[in-house]
Parts: sequence; structure tokens; C-alpha cells
Amino acid sequence: MNTAQIRFATLWRREVNRFMKIKKQTLGAPLLETFLYIMVFGAALGSRIKELHGIEYILFVIPGLIMMAWSINSFANNSSSILQQKFQGAIQDQLSSPASPLELLLAFSLGGFMRGLLVALLTFLAASLLVDLPVDHILVLIPALFLVGFFFSQLGVLIGVRAEQFDDVAFAQTFVLQPLIFLGGVFYSATLLPEPFSTLTHFNPLFYMINLVRYGFIGYSEVSVALSLLALTAATAALFLFNLRLFSRGYRLRA
Amino acid sequence: MRRFRAMNALDIEELEKRYPTGVEALRGVSLRIAPGELFGLLGPNGAGKSTLIHCTTGLAQPTGGTIQVFGHDAIGDYGPARQAVGLAPQEPNLDWFLTVEETLDYHAGYFGMPKRERRERTAELLETFSLTEKADERTRTLSGGMKRRLILARAMMHRPRLLILDEPTAGVDVELRLELWHYVQRINAEGTTILLTTHYLEEAEQLCDRIAFIDHGEIVGEGTSGELSARYGVDNLEDAYLTLVGRKELSRSHVPVEPETVP
Repeated sequence: MNTAQIRFATLWRREVNRFMKIKKQTLGAPLLETFLYIMVFGAALGSRIKELHGIEYILFVIPGLIMMAWSINSFANNSSSILQQKFQGAIQDQLSSPASPLELLLAFSLGGFMRGLLVALLTFLAASLLVDLPVDHILVLIPALFLVGFFFSQLGVLIGVRAEQFDDVAFAQTFVLQPLIFLGGVFYSATLLPEPFSTLTHFNPLFYMINLVRYGFIGYSEVSVALSLLALTAATAALFLFNLRLFSRGYRLRA
Repeated sequence: MRRFRAMNALDIEELEKRYPTGVEALRGVSLRIAPGELFGLLGPNGAGKSTLIHCTTGLAQPTGGTIQVFGHDAIGDYGPARQAVGLAPQEPNLDWFLTVEETLDYHAGYFGMPKRERRERTAELLETFSLTEKADERTRTLSGGMKRRLILARAMMHRPRLLILDEPTAGVDVELRLELWHYVQRINAEGTTILLTTHYLEEAEQLCDRIAFIDHGEIVGEGTSGELSARYGVDNLEDAYLTLVGRKELSRSHVPVEPETVP
């Protein structure tokens, strides 16, 4: 490995090492949470609802839960990691190294991405033990999940950089991200909502992400898959470029 | 024929730093430190010492002037410039999630050091700073003195040519202070250039080849300890410092000595 590769690998390793050292909190807790969702919404509620648009309810819900696990964990990891390092001052060790803004941004992003990937993968394996989960469109599913993971990793970085106290991170996660995910149709179909809520759901970007992932798994979507994929790619690229600009300017990182 | 100025370890020219709040932390600071020099930067709290250090290491962004580290522009050519600098900051800024050994290993990795070299260098510095027994402990469990040792070891990890020590002996006991002095003198003798900030004037007097006084973001005096004392017609560096920062009335030379009384 050359110098730049060693540098990047170390920056990335630090991020993975951090969440692996507290895995009860960073991997165990989200897994339990997702498992409880599957139990309550899938098994308990599912026995009453049976089917949605001809699809078994538990199969309708699980893709959204996998997406939710990846997105929330990617976001939470990066926002917390950056804020903690700013708070401790430990981030100075990385900022005063020869690492470029791009290397720093990618390493911080990939930490959360990895945690989200692990939780989502374990959720998928756990769900596969309970139900026969199909993967109908793997060529849509993989890019969709990767884009969702990278988008929320970037969002976590942005909030972590902007945050000045832990309250700022908690606010973004509890009052913005979670309501958007819950109201994005993880547990229900937007077509079942009365107006104006059905229309309003279409203004929620999470609705499109959930539909993409659901289409990848079970082949059902309430929106155009191609258009959603394109919009998600554009939004992820825009957020990444915005973060790169913040890192290059040293926004709230360098005095 | 074109003439080149001899390359300095640190070459700061008209450095300015104005914070968004409007505070001018540095107002046209110019400073040159020759390779191999042990240079002291003294000044009261808030004088601009840490800001100058932060601008040099990329932790703060100057609003004017230039900084060159061994000929590399610290802004435009920051990679080689930062590679040449090791920083032991004033406030402990250790990563709570890492062990002592990981702290050194990761730091060296950030500077691109290969794995085998990292392992050898880590073992060497753990030994030098009497940290070998603490290698597997998390940094947050260390005592203040141990944290100070680790911060210095971390700064040395990638073999910097310019070592910046921001008040390295603040709050440490006499034994550790003397240990650090010996270490600083040793690595300086081996060729490492050192920029030291301290509030202990006797420390600067004993260790430094040259000293600069900084006050209100400006260099207000520069030279050897003897030159500074002679220039201001005082007996020692402390009085020169007090004269320069306008607090001459605090000089201990003027304090009348009370005769000892037996109770």
C-alpha cells in the first residue's frame, strides 16, 4: 500500500473500530429493535391484516425495516462519531494529518455505511429465518440499498459537522429522520391513506427509498423505479459534493 | 543571478487571523525558525500562541500572510508541510475509544507509516515514555501525567522534523517536567527542530536557543534570553517579559524582602 492508501485505511479502520468496541449499543440494540418490529408488525399485526395489495403483510414490511436499519444506523454512527471526536478534540489528530478533505469525508462516511450494512445484513438473515424472503430484482436492490446507505452516511456526516452539542444530533434523528421514515410507508401503503395524507406522502423522499428497496425484494412499488433511482442518485451526489465543500472549507472543523 | 533564502524549518510572514466574531488573534506575525533550533514562544493567555500553532498545523485557517514548513506552503501544499510537523497540544485531545497502543498506531497510520514500521516505532516510544505497561489501557483511564506522556509520544510517532510543544509541562509534577526537558533536549540534539510555548520563563531560559514574545497577536520582542534582557536593561528574562507586556510593576526585583521574624 502507498502512503495515501495507508492513511485512508487507517482513517476508515478507526471508524469501524469505534463502533465495534461498543457493539452492544451499535449493533445489538438496533438488531433487537428491528426484531421487535418484525414480531409486532409482522407476526402480531400481520395475523390480522394478512395481505396488502395481494402481498403477505410481513413480506410487505420487512424490506422497509431493512432499509430503516441501514439508514438510521449509517446516520447515527457518523453524526455521533464526528460530534464525539469534536467534543474530545481527538479529531485534531486527523485534521492536522496530511489527509485531504476527500479522504477525511470518505473515511467518516464509510464508517457509518459499514455499520448500516452490517445491521441490515443481520436483519436480512434474521428475517430469512422467519419468512421466505424473496429477492425479485437484485439489480435494483443492491444499488438502491447502497445509495440509501451512502445518502444517510452523508447526512450523518453533515449533522455531525454542524452539531455543537449532543442535543443537535438527537433532534435531527428523533424529530426529523424517524418521523420521515415512519411516515414514508414502512408499515403501510400510501394508497390506503386518505387525502391529503396520500398526496403528502409523495413529498417525503423516504417514501421513494422505501419503494425502491421494496421493489428490489418483492417486486412491488407505488412509484416509478427508474425515476426514484435517478432522483436518489442525484440527491446522494449533491449531498456528497456539498459535504466535500464543507470539508474543503473546514466548516466547523477548522477554526 | 537569482538568490534563494536559506530554507527555514518554519517561515511565517505577516500572518493574520481574524475570527468571524471580529477578534484579531494574529496581527501580521513574522517569525523564522532555523532547522535544528529550539525556539520558545512566550506570551500571556490569549496572546495568540495557540492560534499561531493551529494555523501552522491546519487546525485554523489564516486570513492573511504565509506559512512555510521546510519550504512547503502550509496552506497550498499542506500534505508535505503537515507531514513534517508533530503537534503536542496544550489540552489533552486523546481519543477515548482507543487504547494507548492504538493511539500511537493510528496516528502513524494517519501519516502513512507502514504497519511494520508502526509496530516498531510504537514499541520504542512506549518504552521511552514508560508507557509499555499501559499499552492496552483505554486513554480515558490514564492519569494526567500519563496522558501528557502519551500526547508527546504521539506527536513524535511519525518522526516529525518540526515538533510543536504547546505548554507541554503545564500541570505536570517536577519529576515528569524534568523527564520531558531531558527528552526535548535529546531529540533537539538529534536534529529535530522544536517550537515550544510555555508560561514557565525559567523553562524557556534553560531550554531555548531563541525566544519570541507575543502579545495581542503581535511579536513584540525576539532574541536570545541574554539579548532580550540586555535590550530592555533588565536582569533576567522574567523582567524583560514583564516590561514587554507592560506589567513591569509585577517584577520580583522590586518586591522588598521582609526580614524573617521568629514567632
